[in-house]
This record gives sequence, C-alpha cells and structure tokens, in this order.
Amino acid sequence: MDEIKLGKVVLTNTSREMYPEIHLTKLDVIEYYLRIAPRILTYLEERALVLQRFPDGVDRPGFYEKDAPAGTPPWVRLSLHHSKSADRDLRSVVCDNLDTLIWLANLAAIELNIPLARLKDPDAPDLLFFDIDPEPPAGFSEAVTAALALRDVLTGLGLLPFVKTSGKKGLHVVVPLTGGYTFSQTRNFVHAVGGLLARDSPLIVAELSQTNDPGKVFIDYLQNAAWKTMIAPYSLRPTMTATVSTPVSWSELAGGIVPGDFTLLTVDAGREDPWRDLWNAAERLPGVG
Amino acid sequence: MSGDATAPVSRRAFWTGAISIGLVNIPVRLAVLVKEHTIPFRLLHKKDGQPVRYDRVCTKDNEVVPWAEIARGFEVGEGEYIVIEKEEIDAIRPESDRRIRIDRFIHVLSVDPVYFDKTYLLLPDGPADAYALLRDTFRGMGRAGIGRITLRTKESPVLVREYNDALIATTLHYPDEVTDPGRVAELSALPVPGKKELALAEKIVTDLSGEFDITEYRDTYRERIEALITSKLSGATFHVEKPKVAEVRDLMAALEETLARMKAERASVKESE
Repeated sequence: MDEIKLGKVVLTNTSREMYPEIHLTKLDVIEYYLRIAPRILTYLEERALVLQRFPDGVDRPGFYEKDAPAGTPPWVRLSLHHSKSADRDLRSVVCDNLDTLIWLANLAAIELNIPLARLKDPDAPDLLFFDIDPEPPAGFSEAVTAALALRDVLTGLGLLPFVKTSGKKGLHVVVPLTGGYTFSQTRNFVHAVGGLLARDSPLIVAELSQTNDPGKVFIDYLQNAAWKTMIAPYSLRPTMTATVSTPVSWSELAGGIVPGDFTLLTVDAGREDPWRDLWNAAERLPGVG
Repeated sequence: MSGDATAPVSRRAFWTGAISIGLVNIPVRLAVLVKEHTIPFRLLHKKDGQPVRYDRVCTKDNEVVPWAEIARGFEVGEGEYIVIEKEEIDAIRPESDRRIRIDRFIHVLSVDPVYFDKTYLLLPDGPADAYALLRDTFRGMGRAGIGRITLRTKESPVLVREYNDALIATTLHYPDEVTDPGRVAELSALPVPGKKELALAEKIVTDLSGEFDITEYRDTYRERIEALITSKLSGATFHVEKPKVAEVRDLMAALEETLARMKAERASVKESE
C-alpha cells in the first residue's frame, strides 16, 4: 500500500472500511474532516477533546479516549488537567490546527466531543446546552416539535438559540454566553427552561427520572457541567449511514429536514453557515446572577 | 421528612424497668431503634379537602354507636357470639411488671430470624456498670439472653444481645404465629435436582457471592413519594415531579416573569409603531 503523507501526518490503513454498510473508508473520513476543517476547527479550538475512536469501523465496539494515546506526536497540543472521576491527571488533546485534525481522523476518532468551556477557564461555560432526546416511540419529528417550543421560550427571553442535529434521533440547542457564569448556574437555567416547557407540553419532560418515559422528549440539562461534553458541530457519528451532527437553521428545521439528510457524503463547508453568528453573539442569562 | 439514622435516640424512654437475671437487676430504659419511614396519609373528602373519619355504625339501624355501648364478641357460629366485657378482658390481661426476665443464655445465632418481631435499644437507667458488664460478657462469649418481656399489655419472648456497643432487645413471635413450611402441601413433593444442575447452580452462587451491605438498598418508592410531596408543597399541582433544587424552582418563576415582561414590552413597541 502506498504511504500517504498529509501535512505532518503519515496516514495508515486508509482503505480500512470505517462505515462498512456503505463502504466508506478511513480515507473518506479523513477527506471529510479535511473538507469541513474551516467549520469544525472553530468549535474544537481551545477545548479539551474527548474522542470516540473506532479503529475497526463503526460496526465494531469503539472506545472513549480522554487521555492522549501513546505515540501522540510532540507537535500535538496537550492540556494537562486533573480528572476527579478518573482520579489522575489527564493529557487532553487540543485540536486547533489542520494537522491535528488529520491526525485525529487517522486515529479513527470518528466522534469528536467538546466540553462547554474553553481551556483558559474550564469552570466557566461559554455555551448553554439543551440536549433534546426523544424516547421511542417519539422520534426526530417529536424532537423538532420540542426544539421549536424551546426556541420560542429562549427567544422570548431575549436569547439567540442555535440548533444542530445530533446525528441520531435528537437535536442539540445551544446559546453562546458571556463569561462569568458557573456550570451550576447554566445547569439550573437549562433545567428551569426545560421545566417551563414540560409544564406546558405533555410531550416534553425535564426530569432525570423521566428520561425513559416512552414517547416523551427529554430536555437533558445534565451535560452542563465541567468536563462534560457535547458532540462537536460537524462531528461524524458512529451510525451505519455516517451521519453528521449538523448545524441547521431554524427555518430548515421547521421545513421538515431529517437527520439522514446530513452525512459524510453530503455535508461540506460550502453550505451556508447557519451558525455564522454564534461567536459574535454572547448572551447574558435573565434571572441568573 | 427523610429519616436521619444518625440522629441521637429519643431521650424519652417509653418503657423503663430492669433486666432481671436471677436476683440481679440491671436498670434499663427502652428506646426506639428501628424507625420505619412510612409516609402517613390522611384521608380527605375530595370535594372540600376536609379529613374524613371512621365511625362505628350498627349494621342493623345504621346509627353511630358510642364507645360506651361497644362490647367485644367472639364468633362461635354463624352470627352467634359470646360477649366478653372489657372488664373481663382487663382482669386477665398481663400486667407489665417492668422486668425483662432472662431465663437462660443461648448462642447468639441460635434464634432463627423468622421469630424476630420488633427490636428496641436498651439504655442504662442510672449507674451503667452492670449494663457494661453484661454487654461485654455477651460480646466476649457470643451469647445472648432469652427471656420474657411485657410491653403495654402483651407478653412476648425476648432476646437480649449485644449490637454495635449497645444492648438491644428483640421481641419474638410465639411458635404458633409462624407457619411451619413442612406442613405446606406444595412443598411436600418437591423434585430432587440432578447433580449437574446442582453443581451449576452452586457455581453461579459462588460467582455471585459477596459481602452483605445493606446500604446498597434504598426505598426508592418512598423517595419518589417524598419528592412528590415536596413538589406539591412548592405549589405544583399537576406535575408529578418538579425540580428538586429550590434554585431551579425560583429560576422558573423568574423566567416566567421575564417572558411575560418581554412579551408586554414587545406589544407596547408594536403599538407605538
């Protein structure tokens, strides 16, 4: 097999099928991340990544990786921090350039997860995160209904919400924040907004104990915590059809999109960016602090 | 509302007396050791929310019968009763003689737990020397005392033993209160398991063997009922569950206010345009 060197990275096993059902190889994954780099890098930079790697393809078990793997090249930026849950120091990968992104793709790091705070202050969230999670028989269309109701409440509160597909059945809604908040404040805020929605809609539930209520849509507030993560916008998902967690506009969402519209084969940086204003907006939370 | 198992025991003893061993008396008080966390409900009239009460109603004329006119009957045949007056019962009721009379000492594990009824904490009532001596003797020898106690008006067998640096007393059921499984028909002809099956079952048991840790078990039903009550206290009347954190609750109210205010502001801007 020919050795391909791309920037600083020597690509390995490029013809290995990562998505065997649709015969997409690791080279396809690398090409995707290369193509989407201008978009995705803005969400990855300055954050301690959690990788989900699938060295043998998405139909084989993958694994989460919070600590930089052995053999990480010296030019990859690492961030040292102490993990309470793991009870040891972790060296997280920070991806703020194309070389690192290619290196990650070559590791079969299909899924890239980001914390909701930047490295300079890991305890200060710069995003609110509403994880809209439908429980069967509820599916994507119920998630859309819940997301639109959530948008109405957030805009009613004077906030600017952004939405993306999760790449599976759910939707992710985020609001960019000014500094100065703690995770406990953002978590309570997301919980309270969920509570308001749940009170007015029989479809929506906002409490942890209700996550498995069949046919309901759970607005999960729990990821709003230090070192907890969200699927990065434009990250691939380990689904059979190579779906992408894709930012969409509210009008697209209302217009009847489905998660399967957004895959490794269809998403690229040429598409209009519905999240263009994300980092220009920075909201204060009403009723908090 | 949730029970605090680390709370100091109630100062109020509901029984004071003595453990009697032959001619030796050890003065003790009985205190509550086991607090069951059941949640009391009061029955209400749905329409007006007022408590309802039980009345004793005569089945013949449907009139409420006052206590003074109540007698106790023992059914001896269809609709046929022997009447026993309260005074007659009182006369043969055991008097509590305020003694835990120890008859003998037994191995602490020799009482099958099926006989255990209620367990109480024994505390020294006055000088604690004799109490400490008995406790240390029990602990050292792995023995317990078996005897009798009369609580209120019921006499029971009682087991006195050492537990976590204290003496405790467990009242026991009488033998005729416990069903003898040997006399249950379904159990008289159980099949004999094969050797292989037994070996496999034993292997599974061995693999799953571990230490007993009661803290692994929690009354989740009670927790949910308590959460329900807490949420009702905070004014949520239809939702079975509300955020547990008061902060979230306050925040919800604040957000509602903001929503209403901003809606009004937008409306007035529109009007002035």
